[in-house]
Amino acid sequence: MTEYDYDELGLVAGLEIHQQLDTATKLFCQCPTDLREPEESTRRFTRYLHPTRSELGEIDDAALEESKVDREFEYLAYDSTCLVEEDDEPPHELDDEALETTLEIAQLLEMRPVDRAHVMRKLVVDGSNTSGFQRSTLIATDGEIETSEGAVGIEDLLLEEESAQRVAETDDGVRYSLDRLGIPLVEIGTSPDISTPEQALEAAERIGMLLRSTGKVKRGLGTIRQDVNVSIAEGARVEIKGVQSLDDIDDIVRTEVARQVELVEITDELAEREAVVGESRDVTDVFEDTDSGVIGGALRSGGSVTAVLLEGFDGLVGREIAPDRRLGTELSDHAKRHGAGGIFHTDELPAYGVTDEEVADLREAVGADPEDAVAIVADDTATAESAIEAVAERAATALEGVPEETRGANDDGTTRYLRPLPGAARMYPETDVPPVEPDPSEVPEPELLTEKVERYQEEYDLGAGLAEQVAYGQHMPLFEDVVADGVDPTLTASTLESTLTELRRDDVPVENLEDEHLRGVLELVEDGDLPNEGVGDLLASLAEEPDRTPEEAAEEEGLGGADEAEVREAVAEVVERNEAQVEEEGMQAFSGLMGECMGALRGKADGDLVSRLLREEIQKRA
Amino acid sequence: MNPGDRVRVDRADRSYEGVLLPSSTDEQFVVKLEGGYNVGVDREAAAVEVLEEDVYDIDGSADEGEDGSTVEFDEELPTIALISTGGTIASTVDYRTGAVTAQFDAEDVLRAVPDLAGRANYRGRVVANILSENMEPPIWQDLAEAVREEIEAGADGVVVMHGTDTMQYSASALAFMLETPVPVVFTGSQRSADRPSSDNVMNAVCAVEAAKSDCAEVLVCMHASESDDVCALHRGTRVRKNHTSRRDAFETVGAEPLGEVDYDSEAVTFGREYQQRGESEVDLELEPALEDDVELLKFTPGMDPAFLDVAAGSEGLVLEGTGLGHVHTDLIPRIEELIADGTTVVMTSQCLEGRVCDRVYDTGRDLLEAGVIEAGDTLPGTAKVKLMWTLENADSVPEAMETSLAGELQARSTPWN
Repeated sequence: MTEYDYDELGLVAGLEIHQQLDTATKLFCQCPTDLREPEESTRRFTRYLHPTRSELGEIDDAALEESKVDREFEYLAYDSTCLVEEDDEPPHELDDEALETTLEIAQLLEMRPVDRAHVMRKLVVDGSNTSGFQRSTLIATDGEIETSEGAVGIEDLLLEEESAQRVAETDDGVRYSLDRLGIPLVEIGTSPDISTPEQALEAAERIGMLLRSTGKVKRGLGTIRQDVNVSIAEGARVEIKGVQSLDDIDDIVRTEVARQVELVEITDELAEREAVVGESRDVTDVFEDTDSGVIGGALRSGGSVTAVLLEGFDGLVGREIAPDRRLGTELSDHAKRHGAGGIFHTDELPAYGVTDEEVADLREAVGADPEDAVAIVADDTATAESAIEAVAERAATALEGVPEETRGANDDGTTRYLRPLPGAARMYPETDVPPVEPDPSEVPEPELLTEKVERYQEEYDLGAGLAEQVAYGQHMPLFEDVVADGVDPTLTASTLESTLTELRRDDVPVENLEDEHLRGVLELVEDGDLPNEGVGDLLASLAEEPDRTPEEAAEEEGLGGADEAEVREAVAEVVERNEAQVEEEGMQAFSGLMGECMGALRGKADGDLVSRLLREEIQKRA
Repeated sequence: MNPGDRVRVDRADRSYEGVLLPSSTDEQFVVKLEGGYNVGVDREAAAVEVLEEDVYDIDGSADEGEDGSTVEFDEELPTIALISTGGTIASTVDYRTGAVTAQFDAEDVLRAVPDLAGRANYRGRVVANILSENMEPPIWQDLAEAVREEIEAGADGVVVMHGTDTMQYSASALAFMLETPVPVVFTGSQRSADRPSSDNVMNAVCAVEAAKSDCAEVLVCMHASESDDVCALHRGTRVRKNHTSRRDAFETVGAEPLGEVDYDSEAVTFGREYQQRGESEVDLELEPALEDDVELLKFTPGMDPAFLDVAAGSEGLVLEGTGLGHVHTDLIPRIEELIADGTTVVMTSQCLEGRVCDRVYDTGRDLLEAGVIEAGDTLPGTAKVKLMWTLENADSVPEAMETSLAGELQARSTPWN
C-alpha cells in the first residue's frame, strides 16, 4: 500500500470504543448478563418497527433509509431474559453497579461527570433493539489520554445498553437473540485529535488497558468493539463500524485514507471530463435472449433490467480504490441496500455471460459514447427500479467528492457502505427512566494494569512475563481475590495462565471452567487437600463435567486423597520393584525413581512429600 | 433566554453548547447537545450565553403546515370514523413533566399511522383528550353520542382510539347504551406511540379492518400475543386488561375471543356467534341515560364495615365478593339494611373466572335472603357499568341484572369456546 504523508493530507481520525461491563444484572432490568446459545431459547416472537420523530419534530435520515426495507424481526427469548428485553415492560431504573463502573472509567480518562445524566433513546430500527431505540446516557465529557504522538481528547463517555445479537437472516427479515440485549456497555468517543494510523492503534490500546484496569469489564470475543472515524482534508467524515480486532485499526485507517484519496482523484478526473449522470431507464429488451445466468434468471421470473448512463465515467467505474474494491463496488453496495444482488457495469463487461453484442446494444439503447460508462441492475421490477436510482444517486455523489457515511469493516481490512451518518434527530428523551445525578466522590480510583504488573513483581515475586500475563489476562480480578484470601500467588498465577493454556492446547474444554471452579481448586491446594501436581488433572476433570464441585471431582478422581501412609506404601513398592538398582546406585537412583513414584501416584500426592519419603525408603535399602 | 435558543453553558472547567430545552426542575438547565444527548446543568454553577434565539419551536407548532392530512375520498372504499379520546395511542412526550401525554387529534393519528392509508375513507373526530384513568361517565355519553352521529352520517364502521387503562369500562358502557348496525371497535396501545416498536400501528390497522367487517357489535381490538401477527377481537363486555404492560394484556374472560384479525393477510375471522351486520336490521338507537350513584366494593378479609356505610344511600352497589359470591357473615345484616333503604346490591366474584352461586353455602343463602342480586358470570367492572345503565333504563333491575343484555352474561360456562 502507498504510504501517504498524513500530515499533508490533513488526516483526522477519532475512535469510538464500545466495551461491555461485567455487572451482575443488565442496565435496565434484573436479568443476568449471561450469553446463551440460540438452541437454549424457550420462547420466540416477531415484531415490526416504524420510525418516529424526535422531540424536535425531525426524522433521522439513517432511520428513514433503514425503514424503507420492510422487514419482520424475530426474537429468541430465554429463561434468563424478561419482559423488559421484549419491550413489553417499562425499563427499571439505571443499574447502580454499571453507573459506578462508568464513573471509575471516567476518572481513569480524566473526565468530568455531568451534573445530571438524562437517559436518551437513540433511534435504531434495524431490529437490534426490540424497542426501536437504544437507551444511551451521556455520563462524562472533557477527558484526555496520553500517546507518544501527543494527547488525545476524550469527548464523551456514554453508558448504554448492548443490542440484541443477530443470529440469522430469515425469509422475512432477521432473527435476533435477546440474551445480549441490555448488557451495560460504555462508549468512549475520542476527539478527532488522531493524525496517524499508528496513533489510532496506540490510543485504542491505551483506552483498552484503562478499561481493563477496573477489573469490571467483560472479556473475550465480541465484548469490545471499535469504530473508527476517518477524514482527510479534501475527503469527508466516514464512520467505520465494527472493527473486529484492535490490531486492525491502523490498517483500517490506512485503507480508508487511500480510498478517500482515490475518490478525490476520481472526482477531479470526472470534473475535467465534465461528467454527468443520466436518467435511469428500462433496458430489458437488450437482454431478451441473454446467456447471462444472473440477468436471465431475473428475466425468467418476470423481472426487468434497468440501466443508468454515466457520461464521462468510462474506465473510472472499474478503477480500484481499495484492495479489490472499485468505484463500481460502491455503486453495487447502494444497489444491495435496496435489495438487489449487485450491479454490472461496462468497465467490467463483456463478462458473466454478457456478450460483446449485448454491451454494444446496451450502449446504443442508452445513447452511450465511448467515453461513457453504463451500470445495470437485473432483478424483480420494483427492486431493479429503486436499486438503479440508488446507483445513480451514488454516482452523482462521485461528481462532488467523498460522501459522508457510515461504513462497515470487512474481514480483509476494507469497508463497505452501510447507511448515511446518523444525526442528532435520532435522539429523544427516555421518559420511562428518571435522570440520575452521578456522584463521583464515592468512586475508588482503580490501580492501572501497568501499576499492577510492577506490584505483582515486587509484592508477589512473580517474573515480569507472568506478572504481565496475569495483569492483562482475563483472570486478573480472580487472581487478586484468591491471593487476598491467602492462596499462594505463584501457584495462582501459574495455574491461571500456564496450566489453563496447556490444558487448552490439549483440547480440554477449559471454557467450561467458571471462576468458582478455579477458586475451589486453588483453595484445595492451599488447605493441603490437593497436591500442586494434581491441579491440572482436577481442572481437566472439572472442565469435562463442570456440574461437580472441585471437592466432588477430586474425590471421584482419587486426587489428593493419599495420606502419608498411602504415599509411603506406593513409594516402597517402587523402591522394591527397583531393588537391584537402589542397592547398586544408592541415592543416585533417586531422580529416576522419583518420576516413577509420581507416575504411580498420578497426582494424588504432593511432590515434596513423595521426595522426602523416597529418600527415606532409599536410605533404608542402601 | 428561552427554550429553543442555541446556548453555551459554561460551568467550572467545561462548557456545553446546544439547544436549551424546557426543564422539569428549577435547579437545572437541560441542554440538547450537538450529538442529540440531553444533559442537566446546575443553574447556580453555570453561566449561560445565548448564541442564537429560537432555533427550534419547542411547542411543536412546527408540525403545522406539513402535508399528509389531505386524503382524497375513494368511492370504492368504506368510510370509517376515527374517534379519539386520547391515551397512549395518540400520545407524545410532554417536556415539562417528561412524561407521555396525549396531544394528537384524529388527523394526527392518520399522519402518525400512514399504514392506515388506502384502507378506508376516514372521518376524524376528537371527543376527549384525556388519559383513560381520567375517564368519567359523562364522557361515555359524549362518546356514545359521537358514535351515533358518525353512524347516522354514513360511517360503515367506527374505531375508537382509547387509553387502555379503562377501555373495558367504556366499551361496556357503549355496548349497553347503543344498538349499533355497524362495528364499533375500541383500540389503543400498550407501548407509547413515540417508540418505533409501538403496538399502535398494528392495533389501529387491525381495528380498521375489524370496523370494515360484518360484526355489528362493540369490540375491543388489541394484540393477541407478544408478536406483531394477530389481533384478538374481544366482546366489549367480556374483556379485561389483565397485564400492566404487555401488548397482549387484554383477554376475554370465561371464553375465547370472538374473533381475530391477521395483520399480514388482513383477514378478519370469527370463531363464535356474533351479531352480523345487516342480518337482523338493527336500527341505530341510543339510550345514554346513566345513574352515576353506583359503587363497586371489593370485599377482603379485615375490611372495615364502615365501607358499607359509605355506600349507604347509593342507588346501586356492586359487591366483588370472594369465591362463589361471599362476604363476611357479620356484614350481611348491614347489607340487608342497605337494600331495605333502597340500594340495589349486586354480587359478583373476585375470582373473575366462573359464575356467582349463592345457593351453595349458608353465607350465600343469607345474602340472597337479604335481597342481593346475583350477576352470574358478569365481570365486576362490567356489572358496575351495567347497573348504572339498568337503573335508568330497565323496567325491572333485578331481572335485567340476571339477563344478558350485550353479551356480558353467559348462559353456559364453556370457557373453551
